Amino acid sequence: MSRVTDAPGAATFDRPKTEPDERIVSILIPVTGEPDDLGALYREYSAPFRDQGTSFEFIFIAAPSCSMRIPELEPLIEAGEPVRGLVAQTVSEATLLRVGASAARGDAIITLPSFHRVQAPALLQLLQRLDEGADFVVARRWPRRDAWVNRVQAWVFHWITKTLRGDRLHDVSSGVHAMRRDVINDLPLYGDLFRFLPILALGAGFDVAEVNAPQHEADRRARLYKPGVYVRRLLDVIGLFFLVRFTEKPLRFFGLVGAGGLVSGSAILLLLFVERMLGRGVADRPLMIVGVLLLVLGVQALGLGLVGEIIVHLHIRRTRRYRLLGGPADRSTDRDNGSRETPPS
Amino acid sequence: MLRAVAVSEPEAEVGERPELSVVVPLYNEEANVEPLVSAVRDALDTWDYELVLVDDGSRDATPKLLAEKAREDARIRPVYLARNYGQTTAMQAGFDAARGEIVVSMDGDLQNDPRDIPKLVATLRQGYDLVAGYRLRRQDKFITRKVPSFIANRLIRWVSGVPIRDNGCTLKAYRRSLLDRLFLYADMHRFIPAVAVGTTGARIAEVPVRHEARRFGTSKYGLSRIVKVLGDLMAVKMIRSFRDRPMLMFGVAAMAATVISGMLAGLWLDTILQLGSQHTNDLVFPAASLLFLSLACYLVMLGLIAEVALREARTEFGDVAPLVTEQVG
Repeated sequence: MSRVTDAPGAATFDRPKTEPDERIVSILIPVTGEPDDLGALYREYSAPFRDQGTSFEFIFIAAPSCSMRIPELEPLIEAGEPVRGLVAQTVSEATLLRVGASAARGDAIITLPSFHRVQAPALLQLLQRLDEGADFVVARRWPRRDAWVNRVQAWVFHWITKTLRGDRLHDVSSGVHAMRRDVINDLPLYGDLFRFLPILALGAGFDVAEVNAPQHEADRRARLYKPGVYVRRLLDVIGLFFLVRFTEKPLRFFGLVGAGGLVSGSAILLLLFVERMLGRGVADRPLMIVGVLLLVLGVQALGLGLVGEIIVHLHIRRTRRYRLLGGPADRSTDRDNGSRETPPS
Repeated sequence: MLRAVAVSEPEAEVGERPELSVVVPLYNEEANVEPLVSAVRDALDTWDYELVLVDDGSRDATPKLLAEKAREDARIRPVYLARNYGQTTAMQAGFDAARGEIVVSMDGDLQNDPRDIPKLVATLRQGYDLVAGYRLRRQDKFITRKVPSFIANRLIRWVSGVPIRDNGCTLKAYRRSLLDRLFLYADMHRFIPAVAVGTTGARIAEVPVRHEARRFGTSKYGLSRIVKVLGDLMAVKMIRSFRDRPMLMFGVAAMAATVISGMLAGLWLDTILQLGSQHTNDLVFPAASLLFLSLACYLVMLGLIAEVALREARTEFGDVAPLVTEQVG
């Protein structure tokens, strides 16, 4: 079912290459939910690369629920197009992406959602920005002429992520990203974190750039989900917030919560104590329960943070949290080739 | 991403190990590379040393310059990080690459003077695991650098109980045996002596070193974040005792909570006995008592989980042997 040809398009189109590079761009498309016609997606988004003469490959990675959509690719594969279809036994889009990344041959990787989001030519701009030195490029749907329902949702979503993260990105959930291959291997990709790839990249210290990409007409239809989806999204954001900021220092978070509980609880109890000394009884006032509850919660949070801290401390010393390069020459586009995983000891 | 690596083992080829490794993390310091290399060369002329220069993902010509220097001089060993990881990780990468029995860390901005290195090493050989430099007549801006650093140092000393005057000075000498047990992550480069004492029980000393005003480039730090440092410090301080017997610690806390719970229950009973049963509908004391009892249960469970989690961590990789600081005969 899977097949890759080396220089697609180059033979059929006589256009000279704009730049003589041997690079292959891998376009990864996780197929979940209700995807658009995969053949149409391929034709539309491969056109700019074909026109420019850049080598590319498309990899569709389907979740089990969408495995019946993979046969749509067969006519393309029979026609010799550089398309592959994989089915991975997972429900997580992030894992689909990781499967795709390990199958990809390209040095540059572009991820697309399985429906039309942005205008196809914008992908070339993403690549160009990557060549200019960014580690990770995210497409911002702009200009955006969206249904108002979508805009309100997007606004709320970004208000929450912005408040929690304080980042400067405008559209983290477009799902259209370009990155070097080593970047995707370096990110903690699992669960539903796919949606926040740009934030993960920012948090990991990569140079993240934003490129305006005109929104696709098909993306303008109103999207409303079941309430459960919104709850999950919110939990994701909170989890992500913790993951990015406190993975190495859990006590910073739990300590803050715990100290807050301890201080406010103690203040309430102190107040009650003073009043009791002045002769006013406390036994009939629920305020004491509030104070005790806050105190108890504070101690619980601190204890939890401490356990987290010790676990991090014991585990982290066996893990190398950095990657080395062979030399300055590596820092071009094919940076991954000369990299070593462990330092020479 | 995360990758487990075996605990660092002693090198096979002892002949290649220099007496001394100097580790310098560099981030966008192209103007400082040349003067730094020649300063170290002049200061350690008669020594058997290696200079480990860690490029922390610089975006200027630093990596290129390092490669050039390494070609000229075999004693220079560049290490290139794939991207900017920050000073703590850069330092750890340098320590991992260093082969010397004694390792000296230094700033890349020439504010430390390599001529102080022999003094640090001599002190280390008197029987210390870590010798920290402290800056005499510090050449920095008063309000933005010296004042916050004074407060931070006082706090660090007070919380950690480690009597170090100047935690911000990067010029330090370490024994290899300490580095094998010291693992730097998060923002720990800010208080390495406290971490070393807190987690390994290292013997530390302090010696005065020269300090010069920054000549090239710009400083990479503004005001230090004192609150964060404090939280981290408390963690470090508690790690050593908790690491070895978490159940004991949580057990003691649980007992305290049980005692409080009992006292509150006693108050309640006292009220009933004194005032009769018409007051038993005052639920404040029993509720508070139950809350503390629940806290006690929670702490016991947390202690059990900690015990399991730490056992996992120890058996999976094998615990590192503790630092042996005294040996007789």
